[in-house]
Amino acid sequence: MTERLYKAAIWVGGLALLAAALIDTIAVFARNLASSLHGSIELIQVAVLIAGSLGLVIAVSSRTHARVHVISERLEGAAKTWLDRLASAAVAAFFLCLLAGSLWIAADLWDGHELSEVMSVPWRLLRLFANLCFFVALLILLRQCWRPKP
Amino acid sequence: MMATPETGLVGIGILLVMLILGVPIGASLGLVGIVGLFLTLGIEPGLIKAGVTAIDTLTRYELGTLPLFMLMAHLLFSANASRDLFDAAARLVGHRRGGLAYAAIGGCASFGAINHSSLATTATVGLVALPEMRSRGYAPGFAAGTIAAGGTLGQIIPPSGALIVFGIIAEQSLGKLFMAALIPAAMQILFYVLTIFIVVRLRPGIAPPSERHGWGERVRALLRVSDLLLLIVAVIGGIAIGWFSPSEAASIGVAGALLLAARRRQLNRAMLYRAFEETLKTSGMIMLIIIGALIFAVFLSVTGLADAIGSTVTGLGLGPVMTLTIVAIILLLLGSMLDGLGLMLLATPILLPVVTSVGMSEIWFGIFLIRAMEIGFVHPPLGLNLYVMQGVAKDIPVARIFRGVAPFLVSDFLCLALFIFFPVLITGLPQWASL
Repeated sequence: MTERLYKAAIWVGGLALLAAALIDTIAVFARNLASSLHGSIELIQVAVLIAGSLGLVIAVSSRTHARVHVISERLEGAAKTWLDRLASAAVAAFFLCLLAGSLWIAADLWDGHELSEVMSVPWRLLRLFANLCFFVALLILLRQCWRPKP
Repeated sequence: MMATPETGLVGIGILLVMLILGVPIGASLGLVGIVGLFLTLGIEPGLIKAGVTAIDTLTRYELGTLPLFMLMAHLLFSANASRDLFDAAARLVGHRRGGLAYAAIGGCASFGAINHSSLATTATVGLVALPEMRSRGYAPGFAAGTIAAGGTLGQIIPPSGALIVFGIIAEQSLGKLFMAALIPAAMQILFYVLTIFIVVRLRPGIAPPSERHGWGERVRALLRVSDLLLLIVAVIGGIAIGWFSPSEAASIGVAGALLLAARRRQLNRAMLYRAFEETLKTSGMIMLIIIGALIFAVFLSVTGLADAIGSTVTGLGLGPVMTLTIVAIILLLLGSMLDGLGLMLLATPILLPVVTSVGMSEIWFGIFLIRAMEIGFVHPPLGLNLYVMQGVAKDIPVARIFRGVAPFLVSDFLCLALFIFFPVLITGLPQWASL
């Protein structure tokens, strides 16, 4: 992932989180002032999906993974490189399954024009965005398989 | 292939091998789950389950809580919260024998309340408190051990990441979990304070008193952190009195942290970028683990393994105390091999039915699990907090840090035993608050 794209992903994801926080905060104040902000949860879901999908890409790109280091810490050289490759390949296989399953559902529901109840958020576009992020993460992981961490 | 409990056992075996080989936890859980579903139900249901789980997790409103609380933590971290909190505690009690150790526990507790992570709390408070303690003549092993143990408070003080992840995996109310964690968190702080008191009574030379600060200076130090303390009280108190839900509290926390950073003149583009990057990296990693864990849990439920274990344990007729003691031993053994999240996500679907079969609630198990998980952070061979402390002070060997942690471990085991014998310590507050 290029430096520019990485930074753009961070700004978009971060601003989506801020948007979620802002909408929710306004909703809380509105509710406590005897009013209500209809559809706030749907808007937050959109923001959370954007931030979460980009978060997956950023975590993969920066190789931020929770791992058990019992063996990998004790290895050096080629053995460590192969173990890193195995790890990247396993994460890639997992993303491939997520992408395949999610695309399957998206394709099935595409003509249904799913909309959210209150704000009419077009869910098929959001599914498309999530699938695009899965795909980008998969590409990054495949690249990491060929070029393990130096 | 037939979906039998034996299939589930094979899946767990493969999962453990993958984890030990260093395959990321999320991918290990997810792959074993998906391949298991392929073999037991077929490729189409397996793939569709994976796709549904991924999108459902990413759009889950309650899961938005996790990155938002993390964002709040990173914003406050950039506003120098950790140094100010330790300074305030050190000025209040530093003049007593062992006072800086009490201050380190106080710093860990208050920073843990906004940071929600054991490792980050240990590293951050360690960077501030350890040099100060060593310069005042504290024994290095005792000082490092105190901070490593104090760091574990980050996971139990609400609203911690561990509580949120457990709530999502076990489908429990976050409000109930947060309320249930309050007494155990207070107990842990109290037990650590008592441990320090006893240790410095027995070996007074390891923690000499520092100079006494005047009341004016103490009040000024408290005023410097008053905004932070107010935010912590507002976030936890708002949930407790029902002004807002835990998910909304995360948003209020972010808004408050932004205001606080602006007030301290720390809010700028570079700081925001850093906070966004750290939040998205960590939350992306945790999302992947949650997606994997949810798929793995479906596989286990299809095989019927958890139910089989539950009925086997019930059939043994061991009684609640013995059953829960065995559960605690399993958790401690697994906790010495797996990191916190791995332990939680592996143990929850398997041990939760066992615990509920002897009459304990899911909320009780969640808090008990997190306490056991925390012990793994200061318990060899994994003991991540010990290594974090060694990263902060490279001249202190891990074995020496562990000797410093040992008295705190004794108090942790005592706490776990109390939770088994008096479950009301965990379940009482949410029942009383009728959540």
